[in-house]
Amino acid sequence: MGVFLQYTVIGLTVGSFYALVALGYTIVYGIIRLINFAQGDLSMVGAFLGWTLLVSFGFEHLPIYLALVIAFVVPMIGTAVVNLGILQFAYKPLLRRSLLAILITALGMSLLLQNAAELIWGAAIEAYPPNLLPLSGFFVGPVHVTYVQIALVTASLLLMGGLVAFVQGTTMGTAMRALAVDHDAARLMGIDVDAVIRIAFVLGAMLAAASGVMLGIYYVQIHFTMGFLLGLRAFTAAVLGGIGNIPGAMVGGLLIGLLEAYTTGYLSGTWEDVVVFGVLITVLIVKPTGLFGERVAERM
Amino acid sequence: MIAQLAERPVGRAYATVRDRLGRTPYWSRVIVVLVAIGAAVISWGDDYVTAVAVSVATYAMLGLGLNIVVGYAGLLDLGYAAFFAIGAYTSALLMTQAHWNFFTTLPFAVLFTGTAGAILGYPTLRLRSDYLAIVTLGFGEMTRITFNNWEFAGGPNGVLGIPWPNFFGYEFNTQGDFFIVGLFLLAIAMIFAEHLDHSRLGRGWVAIKDDEFAAESVGVPSLRLKLFAYVMGGMWGGLAGAFFATRIGAIDPTSFTFQLSVLILIVIVLGGTGSLPGVLLGALVVVALPEVLRELSDVRLLVFAILLVGMMLLRPQGLWPRIRRKPKPFYGLEEEEAEDTAARILREHQVQMEARDRRHAAAGHKVPSVGETLLQVEGVVQQFGGLRAVDNVSFNVRRGEIFSIIGPNGGGKTTLFNCITGVQRPKRGQVLFDGRPVVGLRPHVIVARGIGRTFQGIRLFKNMAVFENVMVGLYPRHRTMTWQAMLHTPGERKDELRTLQESRRWLSFVGLESVAGRLATELSYADQRRVEIARALAAHPHLVLFDEPAAGMNPTEKLELVAIIRKIRDLGITVILIDHDMSLVMRVSDRIAVLDHGILIALGKPAEIQNNPAVIEAYLGREDDDMGTLTAQEA
Ligand SMILES: Nc1ncnc2c1ncn2[C@@H]1O[C@H](COP(=O)(O)OP(=O)(O)OP(=O)(O)O)[C@@H](O)[C@H]1O
Ligand SMILES: [Mg+2]
Repeated sequence: MGVFLQYTVIGLTVGSFYALVALGYTIVYGIIRLINFAQGDLSMVGAFLGWTLLVSFGFEHLPIYLALVIAFVVPMIGTAVVNLGILQFAYKPLLRRSLLAILITALGMSLLLQNAAELIWGAAIEAYPPNLLPLSGFFVGPVHVTYVQIALVTASLLLMGGLVAFVQGTTMGTAMRALAVDHDAARLMGIDVDAVIRIAFVLGAMLAAASGVMLGIYYVQIHFTMGFLLGLRAFTAAVLGGIGNIPGAMVGGLLIGLLEAYTTGYLSGTWEDVVVFGVLITVLIVKPTGLFGERVAERM
Repeated sequence: MIAQLAERPVGRAYATVRDRLGRTPYWSRVIVVLVAIGAAVISWGDDYVTAVAVSVATYAMLGLGLNIVVGYAGLLDLGYAAFFAIGAYTSALLMTQAHWNFFTTLPFAVLFTGTAGAILGYPTLRLRSDYLAIVTLGFGEMTRITFNNWEFAGGPNGVLGIPWPNFFGYEFNTQGDFFIVGLFLLAIAMIFAEHLDHSRLGRGWVAIKDDEFAAESVGVPSLRLKLFAYVMGGMWGGLAGAFFATRIGAIDPTSFTFQLSVLILIVIVLGGTGSLPGVLLGALVVVALPEVLRELSDVRLLVFAILLVGMMLLRPQGLWPRIRRKPKPFYGLEEEEAEDTAARILREHQVQMEARDRRHAAAGHKVPSVGETLLQVEGVVQQFGGLRAVDNVSFNVRRGEIFSIIGPNGGGKTTLFNCITGVQRPKRGQVLFDGRPVVGLRPHVIVARGIGRTFQGIRLFKNMAVFENVMVGLYPRHRTMTWQAMLHTPGERKDELRTLQESRRWLSFVGLESVAGRLATELSYADQRRVEIARALAAHPHLVLFDEPAAGMNPTEKLELVAIIRKIRDLGITVILIDHDMSLVMRVSDRIAVLDHGILIALGKPAEIQNNPAVIEAYLGREDDDMGTLTAQEA
């Protein structure tokens, strides 16, 4: 039981990172029906930006709270700018044309981000400052919980809460939801579709960057290829929850994190992907729209 | 631009040459081109160039397989490398463990990958297309990891020491030899792919890709066709995999990653989705470009990514896009006299109807004769949330009559059609056709039973010419098998010719033979509706349902429509018609049913309906129908 709970703690921590990236997939998908394959690589960019600030620029020596604020906020802004650039140059011209062409472009952007990062930051593994946050923790019964885990999960929850508040509470958020339901009707209502798309890309990139920095702090090591697996897991999470559905992405992320932790713990790390995809496919066979997705009735 | 070119002598000459070439069989052209390429590469290229050429051939083979899934059937597949892996491992293990000859392992590689295609395809058929991306990706990764963890297949080390192919004592062991084997397999793949594309399967795939829902509703078994696509795509991958294994001599799981799946997808999208020469070109770019960029070493992949994105932006349709159009569809068909056409339709239709009636009677069912009940709607209820779109509706339609359903907007007419044709399953109630229940059957099965339909919002296949739209309607009547289509056998050719001829007759039946080669979307609204009618008739239904066929027509066109509807009835086909044009409905109908808020408020002869107080009440004060004006005129 103790072991099980220990795996649960690990799973929830990692799952909250996945959930953040999955939200990015889901928001963008909800609005333009594009699977932005570069989402995971945006996390990687965020992680490297954070590393540059903390290590190369030496901000790790600032007071801890200041260092953390800088290490999160600046990468989030920087990654958002990158994502807007991608939208503008690569996706925008294809938006109303071939879906396959835009998918290939997204895969191409993923490749491009990885190789650009390799060029800028090198192919070596880089390390976050190992003792940025206290490494210690405490025991709840037999389960060991670290302060880092608490801090990171709290931060993810805050970000998710912020996103939900934005989507539910603001005019822009309402426009986003309207657009996700019916593109044409929303356009007729006078919604500035381009602006909403831009906001979705900004939000997606900010969440991805935040999760990248968190991964850096949690695992310490970062590498220019780290975005692939992260993106894959997050994409799986988004589909598991029902792509386009915000609570679905969060739950999906946590579930994937847990699944991964249990598989690694009880079985072996080599079977991780098989179990994760196996569960995904089983869920989709039983419920083809994902856990929270709604079936859209065909109208004529 | 083509039109301008055709004006000039050069353009004319080019057009003539192309036309002549177009009439030589496809296989001969493929062989000529591939032999030329092979001779050129082997005589002028060194070992390095030939090796690259072998890789191009491998990628082209993979591209051809994936093209069936993505380009023809319109399904996304991000895990195609799995088939490549299964083919490679099957062949490699049979050769190293069981010491089989390379060529005898091929059928097994193909068989295994075809099965894998079915395993992947079956559960995913009902998924929405975007989800296919992750499911297929997952399938690919699972396959790779399974090989990685499988001791018998060598685990992470893979299979080593795979022998060369041996053909009656001749061992293929130079790059040139491999290139010849590769081109040979490629030629087979290309010829089969081309044949499939131009068979009824190809048409069915294009239809599904365009509008799966409409395709299913005119008789195309969409799930089966999708499964076929997966299976066939898988088989091609298996062939390529076996070839790859023997050529490399040692395989391991790292050869079959997600990146490879993506590269193969790039091959076809870059080349032009669905286009065979496009696949060759795409494979050339994807394999040769990184070789050319080798000098750049560090930034090679970066430049590749930039070029890829750039090419997609410049040519989203691909380098050599697919053209399916035949502007002169009936070229070379023998002409038929106008009278003859009508007589032949009648004869053919009677033959079909009688055959069906015979089959029906042989199965022990009663065949309704003219005037007896053909369709029974019994207490049908359809509900959307709190809205009862169809509320306990019952009526009978007799064989041979023209039966109309009218009613204010939102009355539930289209919903009722959807319940009859299997598009929606009614919440309660039963629909009997020919005395047999049809509720719960898939739409294409109901078409095969003998019910055809058109749509309120026109749903023609936009990427097909008019005559091909009608040919899709003939889908349920084909008798040829898939292997016949692949080999383009004489039987299949005859079947195709018959289909073409019949589509021409149906088009002349609705008066559209002259525009047969145009794209459906280029026609006027009224003509598009007539194409839909021809498409519905092509399956030789017993009963056709027309949903507002007169919408958007001017008075002359409406007159022609009335004539067509009467002609259809004269063929012995029962017609159910929804329309808002009262004078038209009153003129053609034998009986009329009125639906208001989902409830059947009246049923009777036109004169009875006109004077029915409940009907007048239902229409009173509504401006969207002309019942009010009509009764005013009559008074
Ligand atoms: N798939 C669906 N989901 C929800 N409501 C639906 C659906 N299809 C139809 N409806 C509703 O059911 C009612 C009946 O619609 P239907 O299309 O059958 O009417 P109709 O008689 O064909 O009208 P019209 O003359 O405008 O074509 C309408 O209120 C419509 O909004
Ligand atoms: Mg309707």
